[in-house]
Amino acid sequence: MALNIRPVHPVFAGEVTGIDICQPLSRDQVAAIEAGMDRYAVLTFPDQPLTDDQQVVFSANFGELEIPLAAQMAKPEARRFDKLELGDISNFDGKTDNLRARNDSRRMYALANRLWHSDASFRAVGAGYTLLHSRIVPSKGGNTEFADMRAAYDALDDATKAEVENLTTEHSIVFSREQIGFEVKSDDASNVRPVKHPLVVTHPVTGRKSLYLSSHIGGIVGWPVPEARAFIRDLTEHATQPRFVYSHKWRVNEMVMWDNRMVMHRATRFNDLKEQRDLRRTSIKGVGLAVEDATAMAAE
Amino acid sequence: MTVAFQPLHPVFVAEVSGIDLTRAPDPGTVAAIEAAIARYAVLVFRDQRLDDDTQRTFSRCFGPLEAATGGHVTAVQDRRLPLDMQDASNLDRDHAVLDRYDRKRMFNLGNRLWHSDSSYRPTPALYSLLSGRTVVEQGGHTEFADMRAAYDALDDTTKLDITDLVCEHSLLFSRGLLGFTDLSDSEKSLFAPVRQPLVRTHPATGRQSLFLSAHAGTIVGWPVPEARAFLRDLTEHATQKPFTYSHKWRRHDLVMWDNRTTMHRVTRFDETLVRDMRRTTVAGP
Repeated sequence: MALNIRPVHPVFAGEVTGIDICQPLSRDQVAAIEAGMDRYAVLTFPDQPLTDDQQVVFSANFGELEIPLAAQMAKPEARRFDKLELGDISNFDGKTDNLRARNDSRRMYALANRLWHSDASFRAVGAGYTLLHSRIVPSKGGNTEFADMRAAYDALDDATKAEVENLTTEHSIVFSREQIGFEVKSDDASNVRPVKHPLVVTHPVTGRKSLYLSSHIGGIVGWPVPEARAFIRDLTEHATQPRFVYSHKWRVNEMVMWDNRMVMHRATRFNDLKEQRDLRRTSIKGVGLAVEDATAMAAE
Repeated sequence: MTVAFQPLHPVFVAEVSGIDLTRAPDPGTVAAIEAAIARYAVLVFRDQRLDDDTQRTFSRCFGPLEAATGGHVTAVQDRRLPLDMQDASNLDRDHAVLDRYDRKRMFNLGNRLWHSDSSYRPTPALYSLLSGRTVVEQGGHTEFADMRAAYDALDDTTKLDITDLVCEHSLLFSRGLLGFTDLSDSEKSLFAPVRQPLVRTHPATGRQSLFLSAHAGTIVGWPVPEARAFLRDLTEHATQKPFTYSHKWRRHDLVMWDNRTTMHRVTRFDETLVRDMRRTTVAGP
Protein backbone atom coordinates (compact mmCIF):
# COMPACT_ATOMS: atom_id res chain seq x y z
CA MET A 1 0.00 0.00 0.00
CA ALA A 2 1.76 3.15 -1.19
CA LEU A 3 1.02 6.54 0.29
CA ASN A 4 -0.75 8.75 -2.23
CA ILE A 5 -1.64 12.45 -2.04
CA ARG A 6 -4.38 13.84 -4.25
CA PRO A 7 -4.64 17.66 -4.45
CA VAL A 8 -8.10 18.91 -3.43
CA HIS A 9 -7.58 22.61 -4.24
CA PRO A 10 -5.65 24.56 -6.93
CA VAL A 11 -3.05 26.07 -4.55
CA PHE A 12 -2.81 23.77 -1.50
CA ALA A 13 -4.44 20.94 0.52
CA GLY A 14 -4.26 17.26 -0.36
CA GLU A 15 -6.06 14.05 0.56
CA VAL A 16 -3.88 11.18 1.73
CA THR A 17 -4.71 7.55 1.05
CA GLY A 18 -2.71 4.34 1.12
CA ILE A 19 -1.78 4.54 4.79
CA ASP A 20 -3.26 3.31 8.07
CA ILE A 21 -2.43 5.95 10.66
CA CYS A 22 -3.97 3.91 13.48
CA GLN A 23 -0.83 1.74 13.26
CA PRO A 24 2.70 2.81 14.19
CA LEU A 25 4.37 4.51 11.22
CA SER A 26 7.68 3.75 9.61
CA ARG A 27 10.31 6.47 9.35
CA ASP A 28 9.65 6.67 5.61
CA GLN A 29 5.94 7.15 6.13
CA VAL A 30 6.59 10.00 8.58
CA ALA A 31 9.01 11.59 6.11
CA ALA A 32 6.46 11.26 3.29
CA ILE A 33 3.78 12.95 5.38
CA GLU A 34 6.17 15.75 6.37
CA ALA A 35 7.13 16.28 2.75
CA GLY A 36 3.43 16.36 1.87
CA MET A 37 2.82 18.94 4.60
CA ASP A 38 5.65 21.13 3.31
CA ARG A 39 4.02 21.15 -0.08
CA TYR A 40 0.26 21.09 0.67
CA ALA A 41 0.16 22.74 4.14
CA VAL A 42 -3.12 20.85 4.80
CA LEU A 43 -3.53 17.08 4.57
CA THR A 44 -6.71 15.11 5.10
CA PHE A 45 -6.77 11.39 5.97
CA PRO A 46 -10.24 9.90 5.38
CA ASP A 47 -11.50 6.72 7.06
CA GLN A 48 -9.09 6.62 9.99
CA PRO A 49 -10.98 5.42 13.10
CA LEU A 50 -8.39 6.56 15.64
CA THR A 51 -8.75 6.23 19.39
CA ASP A 52 -7.50 9.06 21.63
CA ASP A 53 -4.33 7.08 22.37
CA GLN A 54 -3.73 6.39 18.70
CA GLN A 55 -4.19 10.09 17.89
CA VAL A 56 -1.56 11.01 20.47
CA VAL A 57 0.83 8.35 19.16
CA PHE A 58 0.35 9.43 15.54
CA SER A 59 0.80 13.13 16.47
CA ALA A 60 4.00 12.48 18.43
CA ASN A 61 5.68 11.42 15.18
CA PHE A 62 5.89 15.10 14.29
CA GLY A 63 7.27 16.66 17.48
CA GLU A 64 6.46 17.65 21.03
CA LEU A 65 2.75 17.95 21.87
CA GLU A 66 1.31 21.17 23.28
CA ILE A 67 -1.09 21.47 26.20
CA PRO A 68 -4.03 23.61 24.98
CA LEU A 69 -4.61 26.92 26.77
CA ALA A 70 -8.28 26.06 27.41
CA ALA A 71 -7.20 22.85 29.17
CA GLN A 72 -4.64 24.77 31.20
CA MET A 73 -7.22 27.28 32.31
CA ALA A 74 -10.05 24.78 32.98
CA LYS A 75 -10.58 23.12 36.35
CA PRO A 76 -9.68 19.39 36.21
CA GLU A 77 -13.26 18.26 36.90
CA ALA A 78 -14.52 20.42 33.99
CA ARG A 79 -12.23 18.77 31.46
CA ARG A 80 -13.72 16.17 29.17
CA PHE A 81 -10.54 14.18 28.65
CA ASP A 82 -7.96 13.04 31.16
CA LYS A 83 -5.17 13.48 28.65
CA LEU A 84 -4.11 17.10 28.92
CA GLU A 85 -2.69 17.21 25.43
CA LEU A 86 -6.03 16.27 23.87
CA GLY A 87 -7.98 19.42 23.01
CA ASP A 88 -11.77 19.27 23.24
CA ILE A 89 -13.24 20.79 20.08
CA SER A 90 -16.80 19.78 20.79
CA ASN A 91 -20.02 21.40 21.91
CA PHE A 92 -20.54 18.99 24.82
CA ASP A 93 -21.03 20.15 28.38
CA GLY A 94 -17.92 18.69 30.03
CA LYS A 95 -18.09 14.93 30.60
CA THR A 96 -21.84 14.76 29.98
CA ASP A 97 -23.74 13.95 26.79
CA ASN A 98 -25.58 17.27 27.02
CA LEU A 99 -24.87 20.10 24.66
CA ARG A 100 -23.57 23.37 26.04
CA ALA A 101 -26.25 25.92 26.86
CA ARG A 102 -26.54 29.01 24.71
CA ASN A 103 -24.85 31.26 27.27
CA ASP A 104 -22.22 28.74 28.41
CA SER A 105 -18.91 30.59 28.75
CA ARG A 106 -17.01 27.72 27.06
CA ARG A 107 -19.34 28.16 24.09
CA MET A 108 -18.66 31.92 24.06
CA TYR A 109 -14.91 31.28 24.21
CA ALA A 110 -15.10 28.73 21.38
CA LEU A 111 -17.17 31.04 19.15
CA ALA A 112 -13.97 32.95 18.45
CA ASN A 113 -12.87 29.91 16.42
CA ARG A 114 -15.21 31.32 13.79
CA LEU A 115 -12.54 34.02 13.20
CA TRP A 116 -9.54 33.29 10.97
CA HIS A 117 -6.60 32.35 13.15
CA SER A 118 -3.37 30.45 13.46
CA ASP A 119 -3.37 28.10 16.46
CA ALA A 120 -1.54 29.26 19.59
CA SER A 121 -0.13 32.35 17.88
CA PHE A 122 -0.68 33.96 21.30
CA ARG A 123 2.24 31.91 22.63
CA ALA A 124 5.90 32.90 22.33
CA VAL A 125 6.23 29.90 20.02
CA GLY A 126 3.00 29.27 18.10
CA ALA A 127 1.80 25.84 17.05
CA GLY A 128 3.50 24.01 14.21
CA TYR A 129 1.08 21.29 13.09
CA THR A 130 -2.43 20.95 14.42
CA LEU A 131 -4.16 17.58 14.06
CA LEU A 132 -7.93 17.42 14.27
CA HIS A 133 -9.87 14.16 14.30
CA SER A 134 -13.62 13.89 13.77
CA ARG A 135 -15.77 11.61 15.96
CA ILE A 136 -19.21 13.17 15.43
CA VAL A 137 -20.03 15.71 12.73
CA PRO A 138 -23.18 17.80 12.21
CA SER A 139 -25.42 17.29 9.18
CA LYS A 140 -24.85 20.83 7.94
CA GLY A 141 -22.14 23.47 8.47
CA GLY A 142 -19.32 23.14 11.01
CA ASN A 143 -16.77 23.02 8.20
CA THR A 144 -13.16 23.90 8.84
CA GLU A 145 -11.89 26.43 6.32
CA PHE A 146 -8.23 26.94 5.50
CA ALA A 147 -6.46 29.84 3.80
CA ASP A 148 -3.00 29.53 2.27
CA MET A 149 -0.79 32.27 3.71
CA ARG A 150 2.01 31.54 1.23
CA ALA A 151 -0.24 32.18 -1.76
CA ALA A 152 -1.59 35.24 0.06
CA TYR A 153 1.93 36.57 0.58
CA ASP A 154 2.92 35.90 -3.02
CA ALA A 155 -0.13 37.81 -4.28
CA LEU A 156 0.72 41.02 -2.38
CA ASP A 157 1.98 43.87 -4.54
CA ASP A 158 5.65 44.78 -4.17
CA ALA A 159 4.99 47.93 -2.14
CA THR A 160 2.96 45.97 0.41
CA LYS A 161 5.57 43.20 0.55
CA ALA A 162 8.20 45.81 1.37
CA GLU A 163 5.93 47.42 3.96
CA VAL A 164 5.12 44.21 5.84
CA GLU A 165 8.61 42.73 5.66
CA ASN A 166 9.87 43.99 9.02
CA LEU A 167 6.65 44.53 10.92
CA THR A 168 6.18 42.88 14.30
CA THR A 169 2.70 42.05 15.56
CA GLU A 170 1.34 41.54 19.09
CA HIS A 171 -0.84 38.50 19.76
CA SER A 172 -3.00 37.58 22.74
CA ILE A 173 -6.00 35.34 23.34
CA VAL A 174 -7.61 38.50 24.78
CA PHE A 175 -7.59 40.24 21.39
CA SER A 176 -9.43 37.51 19.46
CA ARG A 177 -12.09 37.13 22.15
CA GLU A 178 -12.47 40.90 22.47
CA GLN A 179 -13.48 41.10 18.81
CA ILE A 180 -16.62 39.14 19.52
CA GLY A 181 -17.24 40.89 22.83
CA PHE A 182 -16.02 38.13 25.15
CA GLU A 183 -13.75 39.03 28.04
CA VAL A 184 -11.08 36.44 28.84
CA LYS A 185 -10.46 36.04 32.54
CA SER A 186 -7.31 34.26 33.62
CA ASP A 187 -5.74 33.87 37.05
CA ASP A 188 -2.37 33.60 35.38
CA ALA A 189 -1.33 36.84 33.64
CA SER A 190 1.24 34.98 31.55
CA ASN A 191 -1.63 33.30 29.66
CA VAL A 192 -2.92 36.61 28.33
CA ARG A 193 0.16 38.83 28.08
CA PRO A 194 0.71 39.78 24.42
CA VAL A 195 3.61 38.09 22.61
CA LYS A 196 5.42 39.37 19.55
CA HIS A 197 5.79 37.67 16.19
CA PRO A 198 7.03 38.81 12.80
CA LEU A 199 4.24 39.46 10.31
CA VAL A 200 6.18 37.66 7.60
CA VAL A 201 7.68 34.27 8.36
CA THR A 202 9.87 32.01 6.28
CA HIS A 203 9.22 28.30 6.32
CA PRO A 204 12.30 26.50 7.68
CA VAL A 205 12.21 23.73 5.07
CA THR A 206 10.74 25.22 1.92
CA GLY A 207 12.09 28.74 2.36
CA ARG A 208 8.71 30.12 1.24
CA LYS A 209 7.47 33.27 2.88
CA SER A 210 4.00 33.52 4.32
CA LEU A 211 1.86 36.04 6.17
CA TYR A 212 1.67 35.14 9.84
CA LEU A 213 -1.83 36.49 10.45
CA SER A 214 -4.28 35.55 13.19
CA SER A 215 -7.34 36.95 14.92
CA HIS A 216 -5.16 36.93 18.04
CA ILE A 217 -3.31 39.98 16.66
CA GLY A 218 -4.20 43.22 18.46
CA GLY A 219 -1.41 45.55 17.42
CA ILE A 220 1.68 46.25 15.34
CA VAL A 221 4.75 47.43 17.23
CA GLY A 222 5.22 51.18 16.68
CA TRP A 223 1.76 51.75 15.18
CA PRO A 224 -1.33 53.36 16.70
CA VAL A 225 -3.71 50.52 17.61
CA PRO A 226 -6.67 51.47 15.34
CA GLU A 227 -4.34 51.90 12.35
CA ALA A 228 -2.75 48.52 13.06
CA ARG A 229 -6.11 46.77 13.40
CA ALA A 230 -7.49 48.34 10.21
CA PHE A 231 -4.38 47.22 8.32
CA ILE A 232 -4.49 43.70 9.75
CA ARG A 233 -8.16 43.49 8.72
CA ASP A 234 -7.24 44.53 5.18
CA LEU A 235 -4.45 41.96 5.03
CA THR A 236 -6.73 39.27 6.44
CA GLU A 237 -9.39 40.07 3.86
CA HIS A 238 -6.78 39.83 1.12
CA ALA A 239 -5.39 36.59 2.54
CA THR A 240 -8.74 34.85 2.88
CA GLN A 241 -10.27 35.61 -0.51
CA PRO A 242 -11.97 32.59 -2.07
CA ARG A 243 -9.08 31.62 -4.37
CA PHE A 244 -6.82 31.00 -1.35
CA VAL A 245 -9.44 29.13 0.68
CA TYR A 246 -10.28 25.44 0.98
CA SER A 247 -13.43 24.58 2.92
CA HIS A 248 -13.32 21.12 4.47
CA LYS A 249 -16.64 19.39 4.96
CA TRP A 250 -16.14 16.79 7.66
CA ARG A 251 -16.97 13.12 7.55
CA VAL A 252 -16.67 10.91 10.62
CA ASN A 253 -13.24 9.42 11.37
CA GLU A 254 -11.22 11.86 9.38
CA MET A 255 -7.89 13.22 10.47
CA VAL A 256 -6.99 16.65 9.14
CA MET A 257 -3.59 18.13 9.86
CA TRP A 258 -2.28 21.55 8.93
CA ASP A 259 0.79 23.68 9.37
CA ASN A 260 -0.05 26.83 11.33
CA ARG A 261 3.03 28.51 9.93
CA MET A 262 1.50 28.40 6.44
CA VAL A 263 -2.27 28.53 6.86
CA MET A 264 -4.98 30.20 8.86
CA HIS A 265 -8.22 28.37 9.58
CA ARG A 266 -11.65 28.86 11.08
CA ALA A 267 -14.82 26.93 11.84
CA THR A 268 -18.07 27.75 10.11
CA ARG A 269 -21.42 28.07 11.83
CA PHE A 270 -23.64 25.06 12.54
CA ASN A 271 -26.69 24.42 14.67
CA ASP A 272 -24.64 23.84 17.82
CA LEU A 273 -27.60 24.07 20.19
CA LYS A 274 -29.27 21.09 18.51
CA GLU A 275 -26.59 19.04 16.76
CA GLN A 276 -23.50 17.30 18.16
CA ARG A 277 -20.01 17.97 16.86
CA ASP A 278 -17.09 16.20 18.46
CA LEU A 279 -13.58 16.85 17.17
CA ARG A 280 -10.37 16.14 19.09
CA ARG A 281 -7.27 18.18 18.63
CA THR A 282 -3.59 17.64 19.17
CA SER A 283 -0.98 20.31 18.42
CA ILE A 284 2.73 20.17 17.84
CA LYS A 285 4.95 22.95 19.15
CA GLY A 286 6.23 25.11 16.34
CA VAL A 287 9.93 25.08 15.63
CA GLY A 288 12.19 26.75 13.14
CA LEU A 289 10.43 30.09 12.86
CA ALA A 290 12.40 33.30 13.20
CA VAL A 291 10.40 34.37 16.26
CA GLU A 292 11.58 37.05 18.69
CA ASP A 293 14.25 35.96 21.03
CA ALA A 294 12.40 34.26 23.88
CA THR A 295 14.84 35.36 26.57
CA ALA A 296 14.49 39.00 25.57
CA MET A 297 10.74 38.63 25.84
CA ALA A 298 10.86 37.01 29.24
CA ALA A 299 12.94 39.94 30.49
CA GLU A 300 10.33 42.53 29.51
CA MET B 1 -29.36 68.52 -21.96
CA THR B 2 -31.10 65.34 -20.89
CA VAL B 3 -30.09 63.50 -17.75
CA ALA B 4 -28.97 59.95 -18.53
CA PHE B 5 -27.82 56.97 -16.43
CA GLN B 6 -25.13 54.54 -17.51
CA PRO B 7 -24.67 51.39 -15.37
CA LEU B 8 -21.11 50.88 -14.04
CA HIS B 9 -21.58 47.45 -12.43
CA PRO B 10 -23.64 44.31 -13.10
CA VAL B 11 -25.93 44.70 -10.05
CA PHE B 12 -25.94 48.41 -9.05
CA VAL B 13 -24.22 51.82 -9.53
CA ALA B 14 -24.72 54.19 -12.48
CA GLU B 15 -22.90 57.21 -13.81
CA VAL B 16 -25.09 60.24 -14.39
CA SER B 17 -24.54 62.52 -17.37
CA GLY B 18 -26.32 65.53 -18.84
CA ILE B 19 -26.60 67.49 -15.63
CA ASP B 20 -24.82 70.48 -14.05
CA LEU B 21 -25.18 70.23 -10.27
CA THR B 22 -24.13 73.82 -9.70
CA ARG B 23 -27.58 74.86 -10.99
CA ALA B 24 -30.67 73.90 -9.04
CA PRO B 25 -32.32 70.98 -10.86
CA ASP B 26 -35.98 71.19 -11.91
CA PRO B 27 -38.52 68.87 -10.22
CA GLY B 28 -38.52 66.48 -13.18
CA THR B 29 -34.77 66.01 -12.89
CA VAL B 30 -35.01 65.50 -9.12
CA ALA B 31 -37.67 62.83 -9.72
CA ALA B 32 -35.48 61.15 -12.34
CA ILE B 33 -32.54 61.05 -9.91
CA GLU B 34 -34.74 59.64 -7.15
CA ALA B 35 -36.03 56.94 -9.47
CA ALA B 36 -32.49 56.13 -10.59
CA ILE B 37 -31.07 55.90 -7.07
CA ALA B 38 -33.97 53.63 -6.06
CA ARG B 39 -32.79 51.35 -8.86
CA TYR B 40 -28.99 51.78 -8.83
CA ALA B 41 -28.43 52.66 -5.13
CA VAL B 42 -25.20 54.53 -6.01
CA LEU B 43 -24.95 57.41 -8.51
CA VAL B 44 -21.68 58.89 -9.76
CA PHE B 45 -21.61 62.46 -11.07
CA ARG B 46 -18.32 63.43 -12.74
CA ASP B 47 -16.81 66.91 -13.20
CA GLN B 48 -19.13 68.80 -10.88
CA ARG B 49 -17.34 71.89 -9.57
CA LEU B 50 -19.28 72.11 -6.34
CA ASP B 51 -18.59 74.34 -3.38
CA ASP B 52 -20.28 73.92 0.00
CA ASP B 53 -23.23 76.10 -1.01
CA THR B 54 -24.01 74.37 -4.28
CA GLN B 55 -23.53 70.95 -2.65
CA ARG B 56 -26.03 71.91 0.07
CA THR B 57 -28.53 73.29 -2.42
CA PHE B 58 -28.44 70.17 -4.56
CA SER B 59 -28.61 67.87 -1.51
CA ARG B 60 -31.66 69.67 -0.06
CA CYS B 61 -33.64 68.76 -3.17
CA PHE B 62 -33.94 65.30 -1.59
CA GLY B 63 -34.88 66.29 1.96
CA PRO B 64 -33.63 68.03 5.09
CA LEU B 65 -29.93 67.67 5.89
CA GLU B 66 -28.64 65.83 8.92
CA ALA B 67 -26.48 67.78 11.36
CA ALA B 68 -23.15 66.20 12.29
CA THR B 69 -23.88 66.63 16.01
CA GLY B 70 -23.24 63.56 18.11
CA GLY B 71 -21.49 61.60 15.39
CA HIS B 72 -17.87 62.36 16.21
CA VAL B 73 -15.28 62.97 18.91
CA THR B 74 -14.54 66.41 17.41
CA ALA B 75 -15.98 69.25 19.51
CA VAL B 76 -18.11 71.78 17.62
CA GLN B 77 -15.54 74.57 18.10
CA ASP B 78 -12.81 72.35 16.63
CA ARG B 79 -14.71 71.60 13.43
CA ARG B 80 -13.25 72.58 10.07
CA LEU B 81 -16.64 72.66 8.34
CA PRO B 82 -20.14 73.87 9.26
CA LEU B 83 -22.37 71.40 11.08
CA ASP B 84 -24.37 70.40 8.01
CA MET B 85 -21.18 69.45 6.13
CA GLN B 86 -19.68 66.17 7.39
CA ASP B 87 -15.91 66.31 7.23
CA ALA B 88 -14.62 63.15 5.60
CA SER B 89 -11.13 64.60 5.17
CA ASN B 90 -7.89 63.89 7.02
CA LEU B 91 -7.53 67.58 7.96
CA ASP B 92 -7.78 69.58 11.17
CA ARG B 93 -9.49 72.95 11.72
CA ASP B 94 -6.50 74.75 10.16
CA HIS B 95 -6.60 72.52 7.06
CA ALA B 96 -3.41 70.74 8.09
CA VAL B 97 -3.08 66.96 7.83
CA LEU B 98 -3.95 65.24 11.12
CA ASP B 99 -1.08 63.84 13.15
CA ARG B 100 -0.71 60.05 13.06
CA TYR B 101 -1.82 59.71 16.69
CA ASP B 102 -4.54 62.40 16.56
CA ARG B 103 -7.74 61.19 18.26
CA LYS B 104 -9.82 62.43 15.34
CA ARG B 105 -7.74 60.32 13.00
CA MET B 106 -8.06 57.28 15.27
CA PHE B 107 -11.82 57.79 15.22
CA ASN B 108 -11.95 58.33 11.43
CA LEU B 109 -10.15 55.02 10.85
CA GLY B 110 -13.50 53.42 11.67
CA ASN B 111 -14.56 54.44 8.15
CA ARG B 112 -12.33 51.67 6.82
CA LEU B 113 -14.97 49.23 8.11
CA TRP B 114 -18.10 48.50 6.06
CA HIS B 115 -20.94 50.64 7.37
CA SER B 116 -24.17 52.42 6.62
CA ASP B 117 -24.05 56.11 7.51
CA SER B 118 -25.62 57.14 10.80
CA SER B 119 -27.02 53.68 11.49
CA TYR B 120 -26.18 54.58 15.10
CA ARG B 121 -28.82 57.34 15.04
CA PRO B 122 -32.47 56.69 15.85
CA THR B 123 -33.18 58.07 12.39
CA PRO B 124 -30.41 56.74 10.18
CA ALA B 125 -29.19 58.47 7.02
CA LEU B 126 -31.18 58.23 3.82
CA TYR B 127 -28.85 59.60 1.13
CA SER B 128 -25.21 60.57 1.51
CA LEU B 129 -23.57 62.87 -1.03
CA LEU B 130 -19.79 62.90 -1.01
CA SER B 131 -17.85 65.48 -2.95
CA GLY B 132 -14.19 64.97 -3.82
CA ARG B 133 -12.51 68.38 -3.46
CA THR B 134 -8.92 67.13 -3.18
CA VAL B 135 -8.37 63.47 -3.96
CA VAL B 136 -5.37 61.17 -3.69
CA GLU B 137 -3.82 59.31 -6.61
CA GLN B 138 -3.45 55.95 -4.88
CA GLY B 139 -5.97 54.29 -2.61
CA GLY B 140 -8.64 56.24 -0.75
CA HIS B 141 -11.31 54.59 -2.88
CA THR B 142 -14.86 54.42 -1.63
CA GLU B 143 -16.20 50.89 -1.94
CA PHE B 144 -19.89 50.09 -2.01
CA ALA B 145 -21.77 46.85 -1.43
CA ASP B 146 -25.33 46.19 -2.58
CA MET B 147 -27.38 45.02 0.41
CA ARG B 148 -30.35 44.04 -1.80
CA ALA B 149 -28.25 41.67 -3.89
CA ALA B 150 -26.73 40.38 -0.64
CA TYR B 151 -30.17 39.74 0.81
CA ASP B 152 -31.42 38.04 -2.35
CA ALA B 153 -28.42 35.69 -2.35
CA LEU B 154 -29.08 34.36 1.17
CA ASP B 155 -30.47 30.85 1.36
CA ASP B 156 -34.09 30.49 2.42
CA THR B 157 -33.23 29.22 5.92
CA THR B 158 -31.08 32.25 6.65
CA LYS B 159 -33.73 34.61 5.26
CA LEU B 160 -36.20 33.02 7.64
CA ASP B 161 -33.74 33.09 10.56
CA ILE B 162 -33.09 36.80 10.26
CA THR B 163 -36.48 38.12 9.30
CA ASP B 164 -37.42 39.52 12.71
CA LEU B 165 -33.97 40.15 14.18
CA VAL B 166 -33.19 43.54 15.68
CA CYS B 167 -29.63 44.84 16.10
CA GLU B 168 -28.15 47.46 18.38
CA HIS B 169 -25.95 50.02 16.64
CA SER B 170 -23.47 52.38 18.25
CA LEU B 171 -20.25 54.21 17.42
CA LEU B 172 -18.90 52.43 20.51
CA PHE B 173 -19.12 49.13 18.64
CA SER B 174 -17.49 50.21 15.37
CA ARG B 175 -14.69 52.07 17.15
CA GLY B 176 -14.29 49.25 19.67
CA LEU B 177 -13.56 46.87 16.78
CA LEU B 178 -10.40 48.84 16.04
CA GLY B 179 -9.46 49.16 19.70
CA PHE B 180 -10.41 52.83 19.94
CA THR B 181 -11.88 53.01 23.41
CA ASP B 182 -10.38 56.30 24.53
CA LEU B 183 -13.75 57.98 25.10
CA SER B 184 -15.00 60.37 27.76
CA ASP B 185 -18.17 59.64 29.76
CA SER B 186 -20.06 62.29 27.81
CA GLU B 187 -18.96 60.76 24.51
CA LYS B 188 -20.01 57.34 25.73
CA SER B 189 -23.46 58.59 26.65
CA LEU B 190 -23.69 60.40 23.29
CA PHE B 191 -22.98 57.08 21.57
CA ALA B 192 -25.68 55.10 23.40
CA PRO B 193 -26.87 52.16 21.22
CA VAL B 194 -30.03 52.41 19.10
CA ARG B 195 -32.09 49.53 17.68
CA GLN B 196 -32.50 48.84 13.97
CA PRO B 197 -34.11 45.91 12.13
CA LEU B 198 -31.66 43.59 10.38
CA VAL B 199 -33.85 43.41 7.28
CA ARG B 200 -35.54 46.42 5.79
CA THR B 201 -37.77 47.03 2.81
CA HIS B 202 -37.21 49.91 0.43
CA PRO B 203 -40.37 52.04 0.32
CA ALA B 204 -40.14 52.79 -3.41
CA THR B 205 -39.08 49.43 -4.82
CA GLY B 206 -40.37 47.05 -2.15
CA ARG B 207 -37.04 45.23 -2.29
CA GLN B 208 -35.64 43.82 0.92
CA SER B 209 -32.08 44.50 2.00
CA LEU B 210 -29.72 43.62 4.82
CA PHE B 211 -29.27 46.47 7.28
CA LEU B 212 -25.71 45.73 8.29
CA SER B 213 -23.07 48.14 9.55
CA ALA B 214 -19.85 48.07 11.55
CA HIS B 215 -21.90 50.00 14.13
CA ALA B 216 -24.05 46.90 14.74
CA GLY B 217 -22.66 45.21 17.86
CA THR B 218 -25.44 43.02 19.24
CA ILE B 219 -28.62 41.24 18.25
CA VAL B 220 -31.43 41.70 20.75
CA GLY B 221 -31.92 38.47 22.72
CA TRP B 222 -28.67 36.86 21.57
CA PRO B 223 -25.45 36.32 23.54
CA VAL B 224 -23.02 39.01 22.35
CA PRO B 225 -20.28 36.70 20.96
CA GLU B 226 -22.84 34.69 19.00
CA ALA B 227 -24.34 37.88 17.58
CA ARG B 228 -20.95 39.29 16.61
CA ALA B 229 -19.82 36.08 14.93
CA PHE B 230 -23.08 35.91 13.00
CA LEU B 231 -22.95 39.59 11.97
CA ARG B 232 -19.38 39.03 10.74
CA ASP B 233 -20.55 36.06 8.66
CA LEU B 234 -23.39 38.09 7.18
CA THR B 235 -21.06 41.01 6.45
CA GLU B 236 -18.60 38.72 4.73
CA HIS B 237 -21.40 37.29 2.63
CA ALA B 238 -22.78 40.75 1.85
CA THR B 239 -19.46 42.27 0.79
CA GLN B 240 -18.20 39.53 -1.49
CA LYS B 241 -16.81 40.73 -4.80
CA PRO B 242 -19.92 40.25 -6.99
CA PHE B 243 -21.84 42.69 -4.76
CA THR B 244 -19.19 45.43 -4.51
CA TYR B 245 -18.09 48.40 -6.58
CA SER B 246 -14.90 50.33 -5.88
CA HIS B 247 -15.01 54.02 -6.76
CA LYS B 248 -11.67 55.52 -7.71
CA TRP B 249 -12.03 59.23 -7.09
CA ARG B 250 -11.33 62.00 -9.54
CA ARG B 251 -11.38 65.59 -8.43
CA HIS B 252 -14.89 67.10 -8.66
CA ASP B 253 -16.69 63.77 -8.46
CA LEU B 254 -19.88 63.72 -6.47
CA VAL B 255 -21.07 60.29 -5.41
CA MET B 256 -24.55 59.90 -3.99
CA TRP B 257 -25.77 56.69 -2.36
CA ASP B 258 -28.79 55.30 -0.62
CA ASN B 259 -27.79 54.09 2.86
CA ARG B 260 -30.90 51.94 3.03
CA THR B 261 -29.63 49.65 0.30
CA THR B 262 -25.82 49.85 0.53
CA MET B 263 -22.84 49.71 2.84
CA HIS B 264 -19.61 51.51 2.05
CA ARG B 265 -16.08 51.99 3.33
CA VAL B 266 -12.92 53.90 2.45
CA THR B 267 -9.75 52.07 1.48
CA ARG B 268 -6.30 52.80 2.85
CA PHE B 269 -4.21 55.65 1.45
CA ASP B 270 -1.09 57.61 2.33
CA GLU B 271 -2.44 59.85 5.06
CA THR B 272 0.46 62.29 4.86
CA LEU B 273 -1.29 63.53 1.68
CA VAL B 274 -4.32 65.82 1.71
CA ARG B 275 -7.64 64.13 0.97
CA ASP B 276 -10.51 66.60 1.27
CA MET B 277 -13.93 64.99 0.98
CA ARG B 278 -17.12 66.70 2.12
CA ARG B 279 -20.38 64.96 2.77
CA THR B 280 -23.90 66.18 3.00
CA THR B 281 -26.41 63.76 4.42
CA VAL B 282 -30.13 63.63 3.81
CA ALA B 283 -31.80 62.37 6.95
CA GLY B 284 -34.02 59.28 6.75
CA PRO B 285 -36.18 57.34 7.14
